[in-house]
Amino acid sequence: MKLSTKHLLGIKDLTKEDIQLILSTAANFKDVLQRPVKKVPSLRDVTIVNLFFENSTRTRISFELAEKRLSADTLNFTASASSVSKGETLLDTVNNILSMKVDMVVMRHSASGAPHFLAQHIPAAIVNAGDGINEHPTQGLLDAFSMQERTGKLEGLKVAIIGDIMHSRVAMSNIYLLKKMGAEVTVVGPPTLIPKHIKEAFDVNVTYNLKEALQWCDVANVLRIQLERQNQPLFSSLREYNLAYGISRKLLDEVGRDIVIMHPGPINRGVELDSDVADSNNSIILNQVENGVAVRMAVLYLLANREN
Amino acid sequence: MTRALFQVIFAKILLLTMTILVRKALISDPHSSFNNTVQDVLIVDNIITDIATNINTSADDVIEHEGMILSPGWIDIFSDFADPGQEQKETLETGAASAIAGGFTRVMVVPNTNPTVDSKSTVEYIIQKSQSLPVHILPLGAVTKSAQGKELAEMYDMKKSGAVAFSDGIVSVQSSGLLMKALQYVKTFNGTVIQLPDDKNMSSHGLMNEGITSTRLGLPGIPALAEELMIKRDIDLVRYTESKIHFTGISTANSIELIRQAKAEGLQVSCSVTPYHLFFSEEDLLSYDTNLKVSPPLRTKADVKALQQAVLNGDVDCIATHHFPQHWDNKVCEFEYAKNGMIGLQTAFSLINTALPDLKNEQLAELFSTNASKLFQLKCGAIEKGAAAELTLFSRNQSYVFTKENNKSKSSNSPLINKELSGKVIGTINKGKLFLNN
Repeated sequence: MKLSTKHLLGIKDLTKEDIQLILSTAANFKDVLQRPVKKVPSLRDVTIVNLFFENSTRTRISFELAEKRLSADTLNFTASASSVSKGETLLDTVNNILSMKVDMVVMRHSASGAPHFLAQHIPAAIVNAGDGINEHPTQGLLDAFSMQERTGKLEGLKVAIIGDIMHSRVAMSNIYLLKKMGAEVTVVGPPTLIPKHIKEAFDVNVTYNLKEALQWCDVANVLRIQLERQNQPLFSSLREYNLAYGISRKLLDEVGRDIVIMHPGPINRGVELDSDVADSNNSIILNQVENGVAVRMAVLYLLANREN
Repeated sequence: MTRALFQVIFAKILLLTMTILVRKALISDPHSSFNNTVQDVLIVDNIITDIATNINTSADDVIEHEGMILSPGWIDIFSDFADPGQEQKETLETGAASAIAGGFTRVMVVPNTNPTVDSKSTVEYIIQKSQSLPVHILPLGAVTKSAQGKELAEMYDMKKSGAVAFSDGIVSVQSSGLLMKALQYVKTFNGTVIQLPDDKNMSSHGLMNEGITSTRLGLPGIPALAEELMIKRDIDLVRYTESKIHFTGISTANSIELIRQAKAEGLQVSCSVTPYHLFFSEEDLLSYDTNLKVSPPLRTKADVKALQQAVLNGDVDCIATHHFPQHWDNKVCEFEYAKNGMIGLQTAFSLINTALPDLKNEQLAELFSTNASKLFQLKCGAIEKGAAAELTLFSRNQSYVFTKENNKSKSSNSPLINKELSGKVIGTINKGKLFLNN
C-alpha cells in the first residue's frame, strides 16, 4: 500500500486510509524498536536533511533517531548556524542543499504554509515538522497512535484539547486527525486563545469551562502555553491561567473519572499541568515521546515509497 | 469637401499634428449626446474634431475593430508606482506603460514612496517626471508627514502644486483626532481625503480574512470588523466636520451597507472597490498563493457577491485597481513574509468584465471614468466635438492571455499570468497619440 500524497504537509491532506496505513506501519516499527538491534536497512540509500528554522529539541532528536534507525544518511541544519542569518531566502537555502543530492526534507518553520511553498518549488519529498500555527502532522499522528494504544480505539473516543488552541499546530493536527477517524473533540481554553470560527471550521465543541470538559472526556491533551507566539497579551498572568485552566490532582479527584493525560511537551509545570498529574499513572506523556520515533519511521519509510 | 477634411489638411500643413480616425465605435459615455450610438470619431492633435456616422477622410492612424466600444479615458484612483525610492518594483515609466496598456489615461498614485509624497517638492517631482509619459500621473499627497499619522502634512501647498487628493495610502490615518483635523483642514481648498479603512490595532498581526478558511489554513486572521469599525468612525467624523471622504478597497458586505446609509443621509461619502475583490475570495488562498495576499484581504464568497451586487446597483462609485507591484523575492517566499498587493492596471477591465458580465456599458464608463472625474474634480470632458481626446477603446467579448511578455509592469506579481481573460482593451488615445495593444 502507498500513501495518497507525495509529501506530508499536514493531516489535512491525508485520507483516513493514509492515517490507518501510517499507524499500522508505526506499530511494526515499534516492534522493531523493542529488539536488541533497533535498526533496519530500509533507507540506507536515502539522504535526509533536517531543516530546523525554529528551535526544537524533541522533534529534531526524534526525527534524527527515526532516520538513523532506518539507516538513512542524515544532515542537520539549524537556522542560527546557517546563511539564513545572512539573509538568504528559504528557496535558495533549500536549493543549495538539494544540489548536494538530498532526497527528503524534514522542515520546521515559524511561518504557516512554508512547507507548502517549498513543495511547489522543489522535487524532494517534504515532511512538515511544524509550520507556524498551522500543523504538526507527525505530532498529530503520534498522539493518535498513543491514544489508540492506551484506549484501544479512535472512533467514538472523546478527546478534550486544552489550552492555547489559537497558537497550537498540535491542536490543529490533532483536530484534523481525530475528526477524520471519527473521534469527538472538545476544545477548551480562555476565549482569547480559541479561534472565533473553530466550531464551524472543524465541527468541534467549544467550552471555556475546564471542569466541564474533563467531566466529558476520555483523553485530555493538554497544550503548552506558547508565550513566544503571542504578539499581544492574551491573558493576564501565568498565575491566573493556572487558576482557571491548570490541571491539578485536586481537580482530577473532583471530576472523579479516569482520564488519560497527554502533553506534546515541553511542559510548563505548574502552569498548564501540575507535576503530580504529569508524572501520574494516568499520564502517557513519555509513551508519546517513545511512539514519536516509530511514527516518524513509518512516515519516512512510506514517503520513500518502499515496498515491504 | 467636409469640414473634417479641411481640418486634416490644415493640420498636415502645419506638420505638427497627428490625426486619428476611430471607425464604427459604439460610444459609451452617459454624459455625451452620442451615447449608445455607433459613430466615427476624428481626433486631430489631442482634440476630438468630429463625430459622425461616417467620416470620409484619411488619417495617420485609422482604427476599426469589431465590437469596439469607445469610453472616456479610464481613471485609476489608487496605484503604487513606487517611484521615487523603490524603482526595483516599478517606475513612473513602467507604471505608465502598464496603465496605458490597461486603458487608463489618468492614474492617481499613492504617496507611500521613499521619500513619502508629503511636500510640494515630491509632488512636483512626480508631475515633472511624468510630463512626457503617455498617461497623466496625478499624485495623492500624504495627509500626515511621512504618512506616519502624527502631524498634518502641508496639504494646501501640495494642492497648489498639483496633488489631486489626500491619503496616507496603504497605512490610513489611525488617530481619530488627527483625521478629524485633516477632514476640517482640506475644506479650505475643497479637498478630499481617501482612506483605505483598516484599524491596525485589530489587523496588524493578521495575514488573511478571519474566518473558517483562515482557521483551516492556520493563518492569523484579519476580522472584517477592522475595516467596518474604521468606516463607521470615519463616517461619524465626516458628519461632524461636514467634509468629504472616499473609501477605497472596501471589501465586506457590511462596509457597503454602512456607506449606502451614509450616502442616503446625504453625507459626502464615496467608495471604490478593486477588481480582485470582485473576483477572488478567501477560498482561493487554499494553496497559500502569495500573489493573492492583499490588503484589505480577500473576503468570503458572500462578501464578493454583495460587492458585485453593489457595483451593479450603483452603490460603488469607482473601480480602483490597487496596482501594487512587488519585487519577486517579496512574493516567491513564505506566505507570512510575502508583502501585500498585486499588479492590476492591465487586467482590471478583464476581471470586471468577467466578474460582472451584466454590467452595462454606461456603468463601465461611470465606474472607470466619469465618477472619478467628478469626485476628484478632474474636469475630463465628455465625448463631444471640441473636447480633449482622452479615450479608451475596448471589446467586451474578445479574449486574450495575459503573459509575462505582454505585461508592461516592472513586476509580475499577478495571479493572472498565463490565464485567458475575457474582455480586452484594444487601445488608448491620450496626449494626441494612439497606443494599440496587439
